[in-house]
Amino acid sequence: MAHVGAAHTRLEDDRFLTGRGRFVDDIRLPGEAYAAFVRSPHARARIGAIATDRARAMPGVLAVLTGDDWRRDGGGETDVLWDVNSHDGTPMNIARRPIFASGEARHVGDTVALVVAEDPHTAADAAAAVEVAWEPLPSITELAASVEPDAPLVHEEFGSNVAYDWRLGDAEATEAAFAAAAHVTALSLNNNRLAPSAMEPRAAIGAYDRGSERYTLWSTTQNPHLVRQWLSRDTLRAPEHAIRVVAPDVGGGFGQKTYHYPEEASLPWAARLVGRPVRWTATRAETLAVDIHARDHVTEARMAFDEDGRIAAVEANIIANLGAYQSQFAACIPTLFCVTMFSGQYAIPALHCRVLGVYTNTTPIDAYRGAGNPEITYVIERLIENGAREMAADSVEARSRNLVPAAAMPYASATGVTYDVGDFPAVLGKTRALADLEALRAEQARLREDGMLMGIGMAAFIRSGGAGPSRLAAALGSRMGLWDVATVRVHPSGKITVLCGSHNHGQSHATTYAQIVADRFGCDMADIEIVEGDTDRIPHGLGTWASRSITVVGSALAVASDRIIDKGRRLAAHLMECAVEDIDFGSGAYSVRGTDRRMTFVEIADMAYRGADYPDGFELGLEEAAFFDPDDFNYPYGTHVATVTVDAETGAVKLTGYYSVEDMGLVINPLVVDGQRHGAAAQGIGQALLEDVRYEPDSGQLLTGSFMDYTIPRADDMPNFALDSHVTLTETNPLGVKGVGELGTAGPPAAIGNAILDALWHLGVRHMEMPFTAERVWRAIRAASA
Amino acid sequence: MERETISVTVNGRAYERAVEPRRLLSDFLREDLRLTGTHVGCEHGVCGSCTVMMDGVTARSCLTFAVMADGAEIETIEGLGSVEAMHPVQQAFWEKHGLQCGFCTPGMLMTAVELLKANPDPSVDDIRDAISGNLCRCTGYQTIVESIQYAAKLMREDGP
Amino acid sequence: MKPARFRYLRAASVNDALQALAENPDAQILAGGQSLIAMMNLRLVKPACLIDINRISNIGYIDEDGDGVAIGALARHNDVKHSPLIRERCPLLTEAYESIAHHTVRNRGTLGGNLCHADPSSETPAVMVATGATLMLQSLRGQREVGAEDFFLGTYETARRQDEMLTEIRLPGRRTDGWAFAEISNRHGDFAIAVIATTLRIEDGRCEAARVVASGVGEHAARLEPAEEALIGGPIDDARLDAAAAAAAGAVDPHSDSHADAAYRRDAIAALTRRTVRRAAARCD
Repeated sequence: MAHVGAAHTRLEDDRFLTGRGRFVDDIRLPGEAYAAFVRSPHARARIGAIATDRARAMPGVLAVLTGDDWRRDGGGETDVLWDVNSHDGTPMNIARRPIFASGEARHVGDTVALVVAEDPHTAADAAAAVEVAWEPLPSITELAASVEPDAPLVHEEFGSNVAYDWRLGDAEATEAAFAAAAHVTALSLNNNRLAPSAMEPRAAIGAYDRGSERYTLWSTTQNPHLVRQWLSRDTLRAPEHAIRVVAPDVGGGFGQKTYHYPEEASLPWAARLVGRPVRWTATRAETLAVDIHARDHVTEARMAFDEDGRIAAVEANIIANLGAYQSQFAACIPTLFCVTMFSGQYAIPALHCRVLGVYTNTTPIDAYRGAGNPEITYVIERLIENGAREMAADSVEARSRNLVPAAAMPYASATGVTYDVGDFPAVLGKTRALADLEALRAEQARLREDGMLMGIGMAAFIRSGGAGPSRLAAALGSRMGLWDVATVRVHPSGKITVLCGSHNHGQSHATTYAQIVADRFGCDMADIEIVEGDTDRIPHGLGTWASRSITVVGSALAVASDRIIDKGRRLAAHLMECAVEDIDFGSGAYSVRGTDRRMTFVEIADMAYRGADYPDGFELGLEEAAFFDPDDFNYPYGTHVATVTVDAETGAVKLTGYYSVEDMGLVINPLVVDGQRHGAAAQGIGQALLEDVRYEPDSGQLLTGSFMDYTIPRADDMPNFALDSHVTLTETNPLGVKGVGELGTAGPPAAIGNAILDALWHLGVRHMEMPFTAERVWRAIRAASA
Repeated sequence: MERETISVTVNGRAYERAVEPRRLLSDFLREDLRLTGTHVGCEHGVCGSCTVMMDGVTARSCLTFAVMADGAEIETIEGLGSVEAMHPVQQAFWEKHGLQCGFCTPGMLMTAVELLKANPDPSVDDIRDAISGNLCRCTGYQTIVESIQYAAKLMREDGP
Repeated sequence: MKPARFRYLRAASVNDALQALAENPDAQILAGGQSLIAMMNLRLVKPACLIDINRISNIGYIDEDGDGVAIGALARHNDVKHSPLIRERCPLLTEAYESIAHHTVRNRGTLGGNLCHADPSSETPAVMVATGATLMLQSLRGQREVGAEDFFLGTYETARRQDEMLTEIRLPGRRTDGWAFAEISNRHGDFAIAVIATTLRIEDGRCEAARVVASGVGEHAARLEPAEEALIGGPIDDARLDAAAAAAAGAVDPHSDSHADAAYRRDAIAALTRRTVRRAAARCD
């Protein structure tokens, strides 16, 4: 029975269910000391003298370290990984995130000092006792205002807050299409700033061994090898072989734990200075201020239609917030991972988009589950909905009319990206059926007679998955490859260890990878060990983010497995005295075709390590490392429908139903994939209805500094999800999989926005910004009736 | 530094320790007793990752000082069941994929145990309401609801 | 962030607690701790001394008190929420509990502690004022009763003096047949954006008495007298509902914060007034 495709319960759950997980904060090291950080309470301030005497004098304080100490010791800064230049070729303005702010603190939470103490209470007390002579300066936290000529500058050396002015598409053709259009619809839309907020706050432990002169960092990271590389090359500046990074169990990441945070560099450094391991765990308040934020766009967009309701062109001007410093991938998220999907599922002949990436005195922004796709999907799906309504057309029909048909695949979108496979109309059809749109419309009509407002909204989306093809990425500005590697190591016993460059922080790799390997070798899943997360055990890897792992690492381990099986075939042929071509492999054994002679894989493994009898030229052992670089991205897509009820008096929105049909290619484990789909939709729902990081406009103070203010969805905020799927296999990887982890985040903002508009359109409501709080909806209703 | 000596029973075992009054129960369990199964997600009492049983009812260990637990009986995830002998709630979460990263899971399980003790046949709404004080960022809650429904079924079948 | 250091005292009796309060002018009572410890963890407050009253026996009662109910200082929220006596004699409080916090927090948090904490958007003060509850404050100097209307003075500020402990909450016997509670919050159980607690007495189709109490829109829970006046003297019909709602909106001066702005809060008060009065009137039938 095949493992791939089966809803296997997970192999990794024992420890999580019994409280024996090993998260960074669970690790205890002998002699460890505790760190606390001193961070800026101001959005922008000159850093004057840092008075550390009172803190140093406290009993139990081991060290108080500042940016001057760091820089004097040769410490560096983080670096960026993707060049996005302006349309005229001007290189982007790069402001790197420092380990300690230098000269000026540029956002609330910017780090200025580090205290090391014997216990966490003392560390907290000592950090509070460090006095910084702050000189507050005018700050700029409002995104749209940051491009005004008189806005305070986040980085004076640039003379502007604009990092780049990037453009994609054919401006002339687009303009011509708008000029000739039968109908044009236009919208101003915000994409709200989010704080990813995994349940586990970030944590790190730095250690230094003086004998071996090696650093060890335990970190809640999604990519230990990248962190090691960044520590080596950019920040700590020690040779790579002298650094070990371990990412044990990590309590959710969603992209936020991908980046190289200042603590990852300063803690190992502090450990060397004090001669003891130094640990730190973020408070939730810290994590909300210091960890990467996401999204935050201001957009003007319009869509042109011909008289048959076909989309003739689409255009957008986006101002995208980068925050105070440019985080590793920040530049490419609102551009290459966003606008390349500007055509969505539609056949759009002409498009143009301009993106201004700008600095503000806010927490740096980078990819968070969805990473650019929810932003552009929101634009397209609000435009097509708006346009359809303005033309008195049914918006579902409007979508249907414009979908790229299956026969048109592979489809070269006007953004330059080619969708290899997909059947958008089939998925739309399945969505209609799953949601039973007709029945929903009937219910809506019935409720309206009773004065109750129900709305039905849809969103169709497509994204790139399986990051990614390294050569293509390089051509698009990436400074790093996007390959990954799996080493399949067969033990003399025949059991298998797979060393993977990815990292599992909820994605169920221990199970899904084992399913792939078990099918390849015809063995039990229990005979397979999946290892991730330790740079000493796993030679290379790039980590888990951008919906890449099953595509890139899954393919790598499939390729490595197949190489081993082929190698075993040669040994089996030799041992069973026949030609290699006559050997079949299946059900865990090599057999000579047409006979009943067979040897099990376990027997071959034993012989491969014993070396008693093997053919000339055969290299002993059974271990293969496969570096897999996909030929191209893959393109998962889907369509969602949301139903809401709206209280006209208070504006309160209740999400009453949510329907999702998605195509993610081959499904390795439906249980796991459904869970990913629920989780992605839930985060999208959080963006649509509940979440918003807010700064006070004048002071730049972070208003959403706790879980009381930054409100993520609870169980009673969620409806039950109804799921269906469609399968079109991609040929861009040997498995036929498409990355599903982020896909569903793109649906809810537009689906729910469109649903609310559907409920209120007849009252004259045309727009409100996310999150669609009761207050915002109320305001829109009042404004429409005024 | 002023320390208070406290006696606490955790998962049936008695402990005596000296603690600062400001030592949170969550840190006491994790640091002083090395029971790291109880997790800390926010320290404002919102996320529920730190939920334990104290004298038979759930409590936010991040909103309890260890000195307040002097003389109390605490049950944590480590006492709920073992891999060989899982509590039905643990079994159910495993079978129905009620966890992904595992961080919210201990708190979620303790809350589920309390719910099922009071209500052996909860509706979906009952369950969503009962776990509304436990945040999960991975699952979207659906499989957690299904896990608890299934656990209820397992427990009803096992009988008193 | 870990709380700042504090001195810890444990009271074995009410008298112990009163003694400790008198001897330590910088001391605060620690009951459930669900509000206090959260604020201490964020270092928003740094009390120098805490007096733990959780060991005092026999002060968690919910007892008949004439035709009303007497609630002890350590009555936990869930005890109050699930009390059949309270459901019978003060159903407004039971209804309010549908919107208060979450189960685990309610296991430890106390009604008394919640009232003394006096968060301006808290639900329980509105109920206390709407039902005309009285609060018993004890100190070494003696004992006094304070009506709920006089107890809540401002944001985190009550009539309780530093050396006093709230030892009992007295809910009067129900003098009204009509009651209703409603609130608006971003998520169920969150701090309220606006709260209205309403009680009505209707005789022969005429509203003879009304209390419309708001929370979340001022420094503390307060009666909206203009709304009450708009209801009294006639039947609760649409005209009176509209008048009361408008009067309620006019009677409040809400603030704007990151959860909601003033205009919305004002309008929410009007909507909640209308809803609660309508429901309360229906209950009278």
